[in-house]
Amino acid sequence: MTEPPRQITLDEWDARHEALRAGGLQEPFYGGPLRRHVADGDFRLLRLRFDDSAAALRLWNFLLTEEDRLHAARAAGKKIVGAMKDLGTVPVMAYSLPNLVAFYPDGAWWIPCVMELSAPVFRAADSLGVDESFCPVRAMLGAFVTGGHFPFPDLLTCSVGATCDDFSAVAQRLNGLGYPILWWEIPARRRPDADEDAIELPGGFRAPAAQVAYVKAELERVRESLDTLAGERLDETALAAGIRTANCVRRLLAELRSLVFTAALCPLPALEMLIAEMLAIHFCSDREETIAVLRDLLHEVKGRIERGQGVLNGDAVRVFWVNPVADLRAMNLLEECGGRIGGTDYLFCHALDEIPENLPPMEALARTALADPMVGPASDRAGRICREIRRFGAEALVVSRIPGASHCATEGDVIREMAQSQTEIPTVEIEVPPVCDSLQATLRTRLEALIETARERRNR
Amino acid sequence: MKTIAYCDPFVPAEWIAAHEMRPSRIMPSTAPASGAVIGMCPYARSFVSEIASRDDVDAVVLATTCDQMRRASETLAKSSGVEVFLLNVPATWQTTTAYRIYGDELRRLGRLLVRLGGTAPSLDDLARTMAEHEAARSTILAAQGRLSARQFSQALADFQYGDKVDLDSFEPCARPRGVPVALVGGPLLRSHFALFDWIECAGGHVALNATTSGERTLPALFDRRELGDDPFATLVNAYFGSIPDIFRRPNSELYRWLKQKIVERDIRGVIFRYYTWCDLWHAEAPRLKEWLGLPLLVLVAGDEEGLDRRDASRIQSFLEMLK
Repeated sequence: MTEPPRQITLDEWDARHEALRAGGLQEPFYGGPLRRHVADGDFRLLRLRFDDSAAALRLWNFLLTEEDRLHAARAAGKKIVGAMKDLGTVPVMAYSLPNLVAFYPDGAWWIPCVMELSAPVFRAADSLGVDESFCPVRAMLGAFVTGGHFPFPDLLTCSVGATCDDFSAVAQRLNGLGYPILWWEIPARRRPDADEDAIELPGGFRAPAAQVAYVKAELERVRESLDTLAGERLDETALAAGIRTANCVRRLLAELRSLVFTAALCPLPALEMLIAEMLAIHFCSDREETIAVLRDLLHEVKGRIERGQGVLNGDAVRVFWVNPVADLRAMNLLEECGGRIGGTDYLFCHALDEIPENLPPMEALARTALADPMVGPASDRAGRICREIRRFGAEALVVSRIPGASHCATEGDVIREMAQSQTEIPTVEIEVPPVCDSLQATLRTRLEALIETARERRNR
Repeated sequence: MKTIAYCDPFVPAEWIAAHEMRPSRIMPSTAPASGAVIGMCPYARSFVSEIASRDDVDAVVLATTCDQMRRASETLAKSSGVEVFLLNVPATWQTTTAYRIYGDELRRLGRLLVRLGGTAPSLDDLARTMAEHEAARSTILAAQGRLSARQFSQALADFQYGDKVDLDSFEPCARPRGVPVALVGGPLLRSHFALFDWIECAGGHVALNATTSGERTLPALFDRRELGDDPFATLVNAYFGSIPDIFRRPNSELYRWLKQKIVERDIRGVIFRYYTWCDLWHAEAPRLKEWLGLPLLVLVAGDEEGLDRRDASRIQSFLEMLK
């Protein structure tokens, strides 16, 4: 008889890890007990609840050892690309060349949370005039100037144009400090005029063909820089192969999301799902291992569904969650309030859509980049969210504001209004700071009210 | 004649006028007394409110030069009955693609203007309209020496709004004797013109209005030879190729322009002003201070209707320090 899955604390993971090892668990090279990461300063782990599977252990260890992998890659002679404000385009190109590794410097926005503000990244950003009125992504600026969180990249790219002002300002500040950046333009996606050639993008949006052509031209500039850095040409064959592998990751995630969001019993907690989805952005600096980690998770989820097992009560309310949280603890909180994740838009759903394989590779990547929900009108994004709410049967919607983020001032209302009118589900907008302990009571009250309202609707 | 409102300096008035429409650059009079939204730039809110309250605007052009205004275009389209056009102005500027995007966007704007009843201009018509606008701008610029800083900024705003500007109607002003300072930052509201008075009362004068509403964002002089050959390309170069601004990536040209003007005008201090939630200007304050090597006073404009009275004493202290 298999033990039912459950969420456990870090303390419980110590014993669980030993038991798994005693049971014959073979871990990858980055494996080990989760507690060792606390010694590195990842104090937030002490306050989280984790899935107790070996697959989740692998996922967490993979996430928390990225810096080691980047250093190892450099030591092995590989070149490192920092792909800023880029959710899944330049990394696909970079990983198509064998001696390049790409990572996502913006991911530093979770450092204050994971290290419970013990790392001086915010202090460093403050000292440069980028204070708390900015999105927590300002932690990236602090991470660059203090060093110690990732090796300095050999090439820094940054998409600009239709991006949030917070990031554009932070990246420019970085550039002003002397860090060279290859800027590439992502225009504001608009709906095609009646007399224009239009192109359907992955994810269902449409854009004028001219805009796709602009993005393609910009990505060609990026390709030239990657060629120079790698010392070899990123040709169409290599790029096509890179796209196929990226799609392998995206297909695994699509299956995982569909199974987890729609299963009768929730087979994998919100926190692990959030991290799994994040792997799509830049493969956590190891593309092949990302595939292995996701396969493990998928295997675990399928097994649980077959066995009729879940990690939450059967009556948990399916909640569609919009925007990533600055504090990972918020995902646990949702479940403690009686919710489960039943759909997500963490700002990068275009990185989950398959890249077309029947097109010339650069054309396919340009279309994918332009499908970013954040570069188009908020109503486009809201429309996609509504479609996903219906697809997954979500019963409530949470719009999680990112503190200080320029897009959050108005888009929440657009999304909530459309969701209410098209799907009639209850909605709430909350704001989650990098460490939300002091706001936990308020957040709990608001989430519980949402869950209660959704439950009430079931009885109508 | 239909009125096309806009607020962004990258929208060429000549292009609208050449389509036989009335370009009107709106400088909102004041921030709305209520309805502040957490995270929303007060200027963007003021502009949306101003347009929504008017019935003399047939279409409005916003630009993607900041995320707040890009998103405000949606709010405006929803809350007002006017046609809203979002002009895609690239942040990058060192590539041919960036110029192509901007030029194509102007052509797209032109198609909208024709749909609204305008006439697509011939090259000669465009060149003539450009020359007329440049002549009018030059007249105002030439008057800079005999107008006070406030008068000059008002004349410029009135001209861009579409009013006929009678430069002789301004009271003659004495040659400024105060400490020359630069006013740097985002756009002004009309209620912000009092800033110029505060600065003069405190013993200074604005020798350089480098706000988005000032001379910094005027297009470059048109190349006369190119104007005859290819007026459209000349227009693109004069606007997209020349206006230094904070959103551009990199924004190095803004610093070059400021440095040059500061030397030319013998500027001794900088009053730097940004709106709450304006990340683009806010983030640059420390760099400006380092780069310009001049005393810098930072003022933050919030959701208040007019100016923050506390700023008057800060300006006074700043100028006392400079004297």
